[in-house]
Amino acid sequence: MKPDVPVVLENVAAKLMFELAPQLRPPFLAGTITVVGVMMTMLREEWDRAAARRVEENAAMRALFREAAAQVGDAGLRARLEAAASSAEASLRIADLDAANDELRRLLIELHAWAEEQPGDAARRLETAIWRELLASTERRRFSIAPF
Amino acid sequence: MSDLEERLASYIAARLAEASEVRVEGLERIHGGASRETYRFRLRYASPAGEVERNLILRRDPPGSLIETERANEFNAYRAFHGTAVPVPEPLWLEEDARWLDYPFFVMQELRGFQSQAQALMMPPYSERLEQLAERKWTILGEISKADPQALGLTEVMPVPALDACWARELAHWEKVIDEDELHPQPIVRAAIRWLRRHPPPPAQKLAVVHGDYRTGNFLYDDQGEVHAILDWEMAHLGDPLEDLAWGINRVWCWARDERVGGLVDKARAIAIWERASGLRADPESLRWWEVFSSVKGQAIWISSGKEYQQGRNQDPVLALSGWWLMNAQDRAALESLGVLR
Repeated sequence: MKPDVPVVLENVAAKLMFELAPQLRPPFLAGTITVVGVMMTMLREEWDRAAARRVEENAAMRALFREAAAQVGDAGLRARLEAAASSAEASLRIADLDAANDELRRLLIELHAWAEEQPGDAARRLETAIWRELLASTERRRFSIAPF
Repeated sequence: MSDLEERLASYIAARLAEASEVRVEGLERIHGGASRETYRFRLRYASPAGEVERNLILRRDPPGSLIETERANEFNAYRAFHGTAVPVPEPLWLEEDARWLDYPFFVMQELRGFQSQAQALMMPPYSERLEQLAERKWTILGEISKADPQALGLTEVMPVPALDACWARELAHWEKVIDEDELHPQPIVRAAIRWLRRHPPPPAQKLAVVHGDYRTGNFLYDDQGEVHAILDWEMAHLGDPLEDLAWGINRVWCWARDERVGGLVDKARAIAIWERASGLRADPESLRWWEVFSSVKGQAIWISSGKEYQQGRNQDPVLALSGWWLMNAQDRAALESLGVLR
């Protein structure tokens, strides 16, 4: 049986933080090893969800752009929203998903700034939808060991 | 002596005309913030008055750092507050010439035997002294806030912003850091910056010394609840006193993962102690502006540290960890300050 990656990461992190680090001198080296151990526990948490949360987030932004495009009067922005809404993932590799996420979040920033400048209920609803997605995004990315 | 010990001893010998047989011993690197390399060492030398032995700290600029700061600011702040109601180590020498130790550095007194880690507060004996530590921590910040920068000599060595320009100067500075260093788009921090510009705060109540990183983890304390030194002044500047208060109560420093700011007491209690000690008022709306700003500044620091690490200028893993560990928490803190996260 091949050990699962999360199990390995968790065990190696524990070895580093609780067995190796306390024996190391100087203290700076012990601190550095502890930091590496903490990062491995975060990797363990990210390992399983990494692709799923990116796919979910990119899909959420595409859906948001699809709905927003209809109310955007700026032809250039509308065209970019429509193109992004109909885009698809190049692959499920993390680097490809991250590249798409960067493009989509750049457009989200532009749409958000545009919405803030518009009068009317439709613009306020769009702002609310953007904030809802940003809130959901922080929850997807949250680490269990984070201070907040 | 190691090479660095020998070079440091040569420097100190050049600075201490009356000293002979100058020796640097036991030089070892310690964690002292990611913006400077921090070492502790023992200095021994013979003087006309006899043998001298001192425990000292060397703070040296690294090739890359968490924040690009002027080491002179930090040294000047230590010099200004040494011997006042704000406890700080004694600063000794500031050296900007890289020929001595490859990079600029300064040397100061080491205070041994105290705790600095925020996580230690969650365990006895420190967990039994949280109220006393909070009283001291926020009282000392009050002392910093009410101090006169001119009387301390800091208006001579730090830029002096107009009272109504403090916020814009700080916001422009940290927005520029984000513009230059972000590796990925940051929709929450960009929205926060737009909000800050749409809702400018009133002018500062006074021109104050701003520590710039006043938080649990940046002071030395003991198990009786006393604070012995305020450290890490590398982001010190002159500005609005509410900046430090808001930074210190930021959610990302809630080490106990509950409502206690800085892992010590609740927010209202911290503000009350600061108001009493400083004689200043923390107007809720003004403070809210600085709380949102704190998350922009925090995010700028984590973004900057991530870029330093990614580009290989400084590969101390703590720079990578700070981004991994705190960027999401900082976004959540911004959402809470903006009223989106309830």
